[in-house]
Amino acid sequence: MREPNAIDFWRGLALVTIFINHIPGNTFERYTYSQYGISDAAELFVFLAGWSIGIATRGRDGRPEPRLKTVLRLLSRTIEVYRAQITIMALALAIIAGTALVLDNPLLLEWHNAGGFFADPIQSMVGVVLLTHQLGFFNILPLYVVLIGIAPVFVLVARVSRLAALALSFGLYAASLVFEWNLPSWPGEGGWFFDPLCWQLLLVLGFVGEDLNRRSPGLRAKSKRLVPLGIAIVATGVVLAVFEIRPDPLLVPEPRLFFAFDKTYLTPARLIHFLGVLLAFQTLYAVLAPRLGPVTGYLAGLGRNSLAVFSIGSLLSLAAQLVRFRTGGGVFVDISVVGSGLIALGFTAWFVEWRSRKPRPSSPQA
Amino acid sequence: MALPQAAALLAASLTLAVSAAAALADPPAAASRGPVSSGLTGPATVVSPPKTTPSGSEALDVSLSPECRVPGSKLYTLARLGAVKLALKEKRPVRVLTVGGSSAGLGASATYPVKLETALERSLPNVDVVVESRGMQGEIASGAAERLRNMVAELEPDLVIWQVGTHDALARVDADVFATALAETVQWIKGHEIDVVLVNPVYTASLADDEYYTSLVRKVQEVAEHEGVPLVQRYEAMRYLSGLSQKGEGHLLGSQFRLNELGLRCMAEHVTRAITLSLLQADPGAPLAPVIVPPRDAAAKAASPPPSILVRPGD
Repeated sequence: MREPNAIDFWRGLALVTIFINHIPGNTFERYTYSQYGISDAAELFVFLAGWSIGIATRGRDGRPEPRLKTVLRLLSRTIEVYRAQITIMALALAIIAGTALVLDNPLLLEWHNAGGFFADPIQSMVGVVLLTHQLGFFNILPLYVVLIGIAPVFVLVARVSRLAALALSFGLYAASLVFEWNLPSWPGEGGWFFDPLCWQLLLVLGFVGEDLNRRSPGLRAKSKRLVPLGIAIVATGVVLAVFEIRPDPLLVPEPRLFFAFDKTYLTPARLIHFLGVLLAFQTLYAVLAPRLGPVTGYLAGLGRNSLAVFSIGSLLSLAAQLVRFRTGGGVFVDISVVGSGLIALGFTAWFVEWRSRKPRPSSPQA
Repeated sequence: MALPQAAALLAASLTLAVSAAAALADPPAAASRGPVSSGLTGPATVVSPPKTTPSGSEALDVSLSPECRVPGSKLYTLARLGAVKLALKEKRPVRVLTVGGSSAGLGASATYPVKLETALERSLPNVDVVVESRGMQGEIASGAAERLRNMVAELEPDLVIWQVGTHDALARVDADVFATALAETVQWIKGHEIDVVLVNPVYTASLADDEYYTSLVRKVQEVAEHEGVPLVQRYEAMRYLSGLSQKGEGHLLGSQFRLNELGLRCMAEHVTRAITLSLLQADPGAPLAPVIVPPRDAAAKAASPPPSILVRPGD
């Protein structure tokens, strides 16, 4: 188990933020940073995934591991994430259906995009397995599967030329904005909630960023001088978010996705805001970590076990939504569901590490 | 009113009359017409078919499939659809974006957007209707509003059919916050010369006495009324249907689930009916004011605003 570090810490914070934001309407939602900017925790999560790939595909000395090993490592991770997505989708659909049956309330079947599944399970089951049928809030892991699946291309290109990898990634991003490319939803119409063709840019930026950060201390010093710029961008974001100022998507010039604020396509405004957040808070961990005491350990623990914590968090936030609906919500209910959820996330992280420490937890230890 | 538009509307009204005739054993003493602003003869009055229900209350809308028949006042409130009329006038395909919920019921042979497209094309002969459907994934209130704006910008439809309120109800969004976000979005859509039809959430017995839920359903109604957009009263329609179909044959799922199925199956028809009748609304400033007949069913009156449809006593 590694010591708390900035990456795990921020990833832990992103996980907590996502958990809370995935219980829409709850009291604590307004205290998450997503409410005060154009981008949100999803950007942070994907960027840090790219950063982690950078760390994972190199030895401790910073030398890249053999290419085949990298490809296999990423393939193995893709399968892990895919397995997690299929599992939580099955559980989520069962939780929704089960609650609807118990409460004799078919309204629940229309829960964020689940209606399509229950109305047409024949096609939708295929769609679930193909990742083209996604439930609301259960749409990040499909993005992840695709991103980690195509990551070997970028990682291997970057070994030859970081610039080439960035150019490839940025080119795909820009083309997707111009031509509105997205992977299709099926059954149903439209595209993925998170367009992998656009969001891959953040993964590649994270990956290349890690590489540059490790290699060039000069660049680190330079980026520290950009903290004020970051703060200015963040402040602008706060103003835009609080006053709900955003361009009218029907009035922006073509290509419209360059100017609109659209999460699906990670439009430039979101990207710039996120980069501003990075610049503004790049040194914050060193300041916060010693002062937060056990919170640092808690968040880093979540970040170290992000896939398990994310998966359990998704199910817990669904359960929390149903509890809020059933009870009518209110501050007391919100404190209970969010509080017990955060404890459960912490337990999940601890449990995963306990399991990996004990290879066969079911057999009695000598 | 220009001639092609009038012609299209005339054609539409004729089809309605014909379909009503087909559904009825006795001939429809239906469509009477009055002059509209330009002086051209055009349909200004739509009369609900003269069939009485056994209870003697308002007539059922017999242009609908038998299992979907609901009295007009429980099914829709109508308003003008300028953008769709314009598309008809310019003889170009009518682009429809339907948002929120794309299912057509268990084992339906066609999905809701397909059924809707078929039903609309049947009601509007010689008009090409293109229906695109999009689901909401996780957004509520102002978040949903922003997502909707992006969807509209992507597809640039003539008409947005928005099934709204379900997710907000599940998240227990404050009813006033919800109404404000909804009203703003409706205004925005209308401001871009795009028509909106709202569809309120489903009726289900376990929520019939849930004050919050009914208040949210009412908010959709209020916004539709205030903003002058047609509303498909899915809630009222299903409540009406629920009173008819309680003959409990053994079923694994509760009766609420069967009702829900029926509601989903009928929705394309109900939405189409509201749109077609809205297209027959006179333009503003027309000399012939809509004839508003208050519903005779007092119970319905409590839950729904007076219908703005043009009905004539059918019995």
